[in-house]
Amino acid sequence: MKLTVCWKWVTVDGGEPDDRWAGVSPADEAALETALTVAAADDEVVVVSAGPPGAVAALRRALAAGATRAVRIDTDGAASRDVATAVAAIAAGSDYVLCGDYSLDRGTGSVPAFLAADLGAAQALGLVSVDVTRRPVRVVRRLDGGRREVLDVPAPAVLSVEGSVARLRRASLAASLASNSAPVDVVGGPPRSEQVAVVTAYRPRARSLPAPAGGTLTRVRDILDIGGEPVHSESVTLDPPAAARRIVDQLRDWGHLPA
Amino acid sequence: MPDPDVDVVVVGAGPAGAAAATVLARAGHSVILLERGPFAGSKNMYGGVVYPRILDQLHPQWWEDAPVQRWITRRSTMVLTDDQALTVDFRSERWGRPPFNGATAYRPDWDHWLAAKAQADGATLVCSTTATGLLREGGQVVGVTTDRPDGDLRAHVVIACDGVNSFLAKEAGMYGEVDAANYTVGVKETIALPKDVIDARFGVRGREGQDIEILGGTGGVNGGAFVYTNLDTLAVGCVLKLPKLSAQALRPEEIIDGLKRHPAIRPLVEDGEVKEYSAHVIPEAGLSMMPQMTGDGMLVAGDAAAMCLAAGIWLEGVNFAMASGMYAGEAAVEALAAGDASAAGLAGYERRLRDTFVLRDHRKLRRAPELVLSDRVQHLYPEMIANTVERMFRVDNPAPKPGLRRIFSDERRRAGVTLRDLARDALDGLRSFG
Amino acid sequence: MSTSAEAAHEHWPPQSFEDLIGTTRFDVHERAHITVDDTVCRGCPSRECIVACPAKLFVPTSDGGILFNYEQCFECGTCYLVCNREGAITWSYPEGGHGVVFKRS
Ligand SMILES: Cc1cc2nc3c(=O)[nH]c(=O)nc-3n(C[C@H](O)[C@H](O)[C@H](O)COP(=O)(O)OP(=O)(O)OC[C@H]3O[C@@H](n4cnc5c(N)ncnc54)[C@H](O)[C@@H]3O)c2cc1C
Ligand code: SF4
Ligand code: SF4
Repeated sequence: MKLTVCWKWVTVDGGEPDDRWAGVSPADEAALETALTVAAADDEVVVVSAGPPGAVAALRRALAAGATRAVRIDTDGAASRDVATAVAAIAAGSDYVLCGDYSLDRGTGSVPAFLAADLGAAQALGLVSVDVTRRPVRVVRRLDGGRREVLDVPAPAVLSVEGSVARLRRASLAASLASNSAPVDVVGGPPRSEQVAVVTAYRPRARSLPAPAGGTLTRVRDILDIGGEPVHSESVTLDPPAAARRIVDQLRDWGHLPA
Repeated sequence: MPDPDVDVVVVGAGPAGAAAATVLARAGHSVILLERGPFAGSKNMYGGVVYPRILDQLHPQWWEDAPVQRWITRRSTMVLTDDQALTVDFRSERWGRPPFNGATAYRPDWDHWLAAKAQADGATLVCSTTATGLLREGGQVVGVTTDRPDGDLRAHVVIACDGVNSFLAKEAGMYGEVDAANYTVGVKETIALPKDVIDARFGVRGREGQDIEILGGTGGVNGGAFVYTNLDTLAVGCVLKLPKLSAQALRPEEIIDGLKRHPAIRPLVEDGEVKEYSAHVIPEAGLSMMPQMTGDGMLVAGDAAAMCLAAGIWLEGVNFAMASGMYAGEAAVEALAAGDASAAGLAGYERRLRDTFVLRDHRKLRRAPELVLSDRVQHLYPEMIANTVERMFRVDNPAPKPGLRRIFSDERRRAGVTLRDLARDALDGLRSFG
Repeated sequence: MSTSAEAAHEHWPPQSFEDLIGTTRFDVHERAHITVDDTVCRGCPSRECIVACPAKLFVPTSDGGILFNYEQCFECGTCYLVCNREGAITWSYPEGGHGVVFKRS
């Protein structure tokens, strides 16, 4: 089986392309750990990163942790579309391609989508757990509103995992030593493309509206769009079940609940 | 000797470790340089001025690619009381051109650069790896354990360059009782200001920079303070004697804050933005706290052997670390050639330390740390000196000018300094600094 | 300079400690590298750690104990040096590659 892991090596401080101030996200690390867990002894785990030469340091850490091959696609600032095409050439034939669900620069997350399209593979993102003991792998996906979805994803597929899925294993001393001089393949990459440039970042000012007229109750009513007859206010002290009943009755009275 | 994984393991990729590894790699030995941080220099902070003269021997023309912020061409010593300041200011254009004298540099740059040089010479640097203990056979140290899986590493010689806390030297029994009184804690803020603002405030241009060492300004805690210029930041911090710190109930960051508000310091630092806050411990007591440095199969260098020279107007450790690391490397080369890694085989290390500035400076300045941190120097002399100078320059018309001797003896008495103590401290000072 | 600008200048608010330590990078590991047994701390007369720890990680609790957080630690060693109660502080380095990372120090 072949597994491919995509790492985005990002300079953290907007600084120089220097591994001291750069790295990959915990989610990217979790993607590698997931691949290493899925892989059997003779499986191939390829880690690929499209980036400048500085990315080699990170790729060697991936090799130390157990990846069988590392490839750097030589590019700096290429468009996601082009990066995906270059990665697809390396990932071709993979059963699973694993990506981090977010990169250190919180990019657009479009590479995995393009990649899935290029590879003709299924895609699942926002994964909070991956059960690697099953074939096809069973994953849990985060949905909006705190809901989850359990999916069985057959190969080939592109899976994007969150950082909490797994912590990257610690490389043995011997592997760390060996990785110091381990070869990282370099393939030519797409040229730098016209990038979305941040001109400035700002917080929109609050719009100023005329001061509302009327007393508090009127204003609350206006906001809630209750309208109709002004109702006299009333304070009551009730035990919780009675209070709940009273609220429901009142809401029904006001027409918020079916009669 | 049994078959080890590597000839030498150097623990700690600070200035000491990088220098040791360079010497060994150049002599053709296999050497592994272990560093617990993600890169060399990541764990290290200091005041901010290196004196790299010793690198002439290891890396001639080092200044051509050294990651220097500014060359120190102005060196000032300041005595502060609550509302007075007396500054002795020296400046030399010569220090601004090769071969240079001192330079400000960030340790994450400097140590990284020095370790990269060791790697270029053939040493293997392994980062993110903590040495957790010593491997021993009989009395002989034969390697280290690390916090990586299958992490044992066997070597003919272990050189501990693991800094001030050196758990390796302690595990080897090379330190006696550890006494907090021998240590100071240094804290600092790195404060960003535009380069031209720094140039104007400190009266420097281009790559020139200023080094200000301060006596007083530490809120009554025994210690010292400093302001150094980087290219577009200032290093502002203080060094505090540990047991005194809690007695004053002043926290380190409060002391820096007070320093920044002193009328003599505030104009230099205000409007700056703090970019980093950092802290580290300094072995302060010099010769009197140094551990045993040679064992069977093991050498200790740099701060791990308390080689930092912290004597008031001098705060030098990086140069002592680089030199002692270099000598440890040379001694290990000798021992490996002779096939004798016992303490006797490694004896060349301490011989070199004794014959060079490393131990000579420490011997000469052995009284200095105690003197500079003494209560008299810390609490009585600054007032006495500043008041004397103030009265010298004050115009008290219609009273005639009093003589300097009169003023001084008034002020001495007012500060409660006896002639005997003054004479004794002056003699100690002369012996150390003279 | 106008007097109001001068007054504004005179007023130099102290920096909050959280903002100060927030300038430093810490790659925190899940395992605490330093632990404090605050049963030993109860009755400690000096409580030196509270004043001395430059990262302000030792916080006194109302019942005489110590609350300790390891996350924003400089790994400097001050605490174990000043503490003279056997067993109060268990001190080690974080796992290699974790903990404080300086950039401009
Ligand atoms: C506040 C302050 C101001 C100073 N000002 C100056 C100054 O202006 N000029 C000057 O020359 N000196 C100054 N010094 C002193 C100087 O910083 C030290 O003397 C110098 O750093 C010592 O170098 P070293 O290589 O011996 O140790 P360190 O620089 O401490 O290096 C030790 C290395 O070992 C690593 N390490 C430790 N334990 C392990 C382990 N178990 N496994 C793996 N790696 C480990 C550490 O991460 C570190 O990289 C100052 C110090 C302080 C604290
Ligand atoms: S840690 Fe040590 S110094 Fe701090 S309160 Fe506990 S016993 Fe006292
Ligand atoms: S090592 Fe230093 S920063 Fe960390 S808890 Fe101890 S005193 Fe505080």
